[in-house]
Amino acid sequence: MRLARPPSAGAVDRPGRRGFVALAGGAAVSATLGPRLAGAQTLPVIGYLGSESPELYSSRLAAFREGLLDSGYSEGRNVAIEYRWADGQYSRLPALAKELAERPLPVMVAPGGAEVVLAAKAATSRIPIVFEMGGDPIKLGVVESLARPGGNLTGVSSLSVEVSRKRLEFMREVRPGAKRYAVAINPLSPTAESQLRNLEAAAHSLGVELLVLRANVEAEFDGLFAAVRDASAGGLVFSSDPYFAYRSRQLAALAARHEVAAIMQSRDFPLAGGLMSYGGDFHQSHRQSGRQAGRVLKGEKPADLPVQRVTKVELFINVKAAVALGLIFPPSILTSADRVIE
Amino acid sequence: MKAEPGPRRRTSLFWKYFSLLFAAVVVPLLIAGASEAWLGYRDARARLNELLNAEARLAAVKIEDFLDAIRAQLGWTVQLPWSEGGGDRRRLDALRLLRQVPAVLSLTLVDADGEERLFVSRIGLNRIDSGNDLSTDPAVEGAQADSVWYGPVRFLDGSEPFMTMAVAGNRSSVGVAVAEVNLKFIWDVVSEIQVGRTGNALVLDRPGRLVAHPDINLVLRADEAGQRPLQDLRAILLTRPGEAETGRDIAGNMVLAAMAPIPGVDWSVIVKQPLSEAFAPLYGALWRTAALLVGGAALAAVLAWWLAQRMTGPIRVLEEGVTRIGAGQFDHRIELATGDEFERLAKRFNEMAAELAVSQERSQRISRLRRFLAPQVAELVDRSGDDSVLDGRRVEVVVVFCDLRGFTSFAARADTATIIEVLRDYYDMLERVVNAHQATLVNFFGDGAMVLVNAPVSVPNPALRAIAMAGDMQTGVQALLAGWRTAEHELGFGIGLAMGPATVGRIGSQGRLDYTAVGNVVNLASRLCASAEDKQILLDRVAAGAIEAKTPLVELDPRNLKGFDQPVPVFAVRGNESP
Repeated sequence: MRLARPPSAGAVDRPGRRGFVALAGGAAVSATLGPRLAGAQTLPVIGYLGSESPELYSSRLAAFREGLLDSGYSEGRNVAIEYRWADGQYSRLPALAKELAERPLPVMVAPGGAEVVLAAKAATSRIPIVFEMGGDPIKLGVVESLARPGGNLTGVSSLSVEVSRKRLEFMREVRPGAKRYAVAINPLSPTAESQLRNLEAAAHSLGVELLVLRANVEAEFDGLFAAVRDASAGGLVFSSDPYFAYRSRQLAALAARHEVAAIMQSRDFPLAGGLMSYGGDFHQSHRQSGRQAGRVLKGEKPADLPVQRVTKVELFINVKAAVALGLIFPPSILTSADRVIE
Repeated sequence: MKAEPGPRRRTSLFWKYFSLLFAAVVVPLLIAGASEAWLGYRDARARLNELLNAEARLAAVKIEDFLDAIRAQLGWTVQLPWSEGGGDRRRLDALRLLRQVPAVLSLTLVDADGEERLFVSRIGLNRIDSGNDLSTDPAVEGAQADSVWYGPVRFLDGSEPFMTMAVAGNRSSVGVAVAEVNLKFIWDVVSEIQVGRTGNALVLDRPGRLVAHPDINLVLRADEAGQRPLQDLRAILLTRPGEAETGRDIAGNMVLAAMAPIPGVDWSVIVKQPLSEAFAPLYGALWRTAALLVGGAALAAVLAWWLAQRMTGPIRVLEEGVTRIGAGQFDHRIELATGDEFERLAKRFNEMAAELAVSQERSQRISRLRRFLAPQVAELVDRSGDDSVLDGRRVEVVVVFCDLRGFTSFAARADTATIIEVLRDYYDMLERVVNAHQATLVNFFGDGAMVLVNAPVSVPNPALRAIAMAGDMQTGVQALLAGWRTAEHELGFGIGLAMGPATVGRIGSQGRLDYTAVGNVVNLASRLCASAEDKQILLDRVAAGAIEAKTPLVELDPRNLKGFDQPVPVFAVRGNESP
């Protein structure tokens, strides 16, 4: 297990910027604390595949580390973590996953959505993988069953993808009069199709029209909100997608600028000034993935560890944003809200 | 004594003592230890019984509370009849319930006619007045019949346990609330329950499927075959309600478990503790007891060994000493300083050995003295303990010689047995006479003998005594001779005695000791004897003078005797002065 690899010239060009920093730090440690290196080398190493940058992942990472600690592992003390970051360029994920898979890792963690999980799954069928995602792992072909995952993968599934329709429902309650609502879809997301079908069915039951907007790069975000405003849709419903979720802050700012009522899966959105969010509790799901990674480290086989579903779905609302948009939250929303930001 | 070898007896005595002493300590120890262990086990078992049953009841109450809390929340939603309207308020109530009770996934409100009036869900879209007919739904029917209805546990997607719970209002017009309850939330309750250090609680539904376990993975696995041991454990517990029993958990480990039922849902709470942990204090106590027993036994063995050694050791020393003394080693002393009866016994033995030594020495001396002293004299010398009487000195003695005449030719013709027999009778007779007169038989030589009177023991009037003795000798020997004389054999007996100073005393080498007299008088007596004829007793002048005519004497003609320059005056006892 090579932990501290001397930085090479090529490492600078690697997408894993943070990874390089960590490696360089490791080298510095090995240089100053030579005798301790032998001890450090015996630590088990978790491969951590992140779709974004460590900054965007910080709250998720903290939850993951809490989960590890629940299982008795602490980074740097009795476990080391090798990170690979795609920095939002999801196309890089397969290569990064392969890079991790080349190492004799006891476990690889693939948190933050179906893209990451699928990249990890494609990279190795040998290394145990603990995933964290919002979609249905059976439908996506990640595991055979929830009770008996069967292969080298197990993990946590939040209900984010499934509750996309609920977001439309909440949006309709906030803007009850509108005939048409916009939905934002990331066409590259593996769950895009199923979510769209889900949303269309919901729109049909609710008797509303959908304006489907697609975006998969940040540059398209501005146009997204402009389109909503131009179409005078009741509001914008973001489908569950990590790319959107990790850019909650940016999207909240755009929503405020374009004066568009929007609902997202991540609580980061209302916390950053957006109107609402409804989705699985990522803190719970990431923490749970940390616990499962700990159990795998202790020698349990992913095939025997059932996939856990996060039970909590949370509704966050931002009253300030509502006021800015000239909206008043109806009692049903206020009643259902887990947290009201004022 | 010879038939039984000593060492075996010693060994058996030692082992007898050892076993007895050892048993005297160890048997009570064992009894105490065994009873303590048994009582300890009973106490521990009773305590664990109590503890586990209390924990089981407590766990059952907690889970019941969990379900009751949901039921109570559902009860709030079925208080007003549907005819009164207020649908929007009901919707808010329902949403509030979802927010307050995380375990409820969805809630359906059904009116008195069994129509669905409201459906709110965390996942699916809410529905208002959908008009779905739920009047034949088992949940609705069940709640209408019993006011509360609990459905069977379902495993959503084969993994997550769910249960339908339905609550009816106190009037039929208020309808029924049906909720889907996510039973994963019982984990919050079950994971809080800890029995001992690692013991825990689990919940089985009516068919014996795992509903809640601190390791949620076991529940989510929904592996009915793997849960078989728990069903077996429940079956064991059902046979003896209220008792903690041992069985195996999912992992196959031995556990001590107790069970309590959860009424309503008809589930069972099983609390269990690993057997090794449950009985750890007992095992600890048992180990301590065992260690004490072993230590006590070892100490008892050492003590018993030491005591037995102390008891048999002196006996061995005594026996050895007695054996040696018995073998004649009277100078052997038994060394024992035990300060008890053994030492006294050893002292007795030592005294006995000393006395034996003295007695043996005395008898040896007596037997030595007997050879030339009359027995009474010998006894006297011995009793006085002073044998200085035997020391050499010059004293006035009467020396008596006697011998047989014609014995040489007799011996040449007679056979050996006859010679030996004759001599024995002859010696016996002489010895008897010598002893009777308290004279000293110095020795026999062939058919002759030398006798001393007045030495080593002084006697009054030795010459007279010698004459009397000589007379008796003649009488006795002549009587014997009368029997032996035959036509061919002419045997005779003559005696010569003389009186005068002579040197007497013990003369001898290392191996041989004699008492004898040396001096002219000895020579004279010997010559007189040689010149005496049969039946004749010849005396010298000194002896004759000492008799002072108390015995009639006849003076014979002086004779030339060998070794004497002048003729020696010779006297003979009258009556046998001449043949």
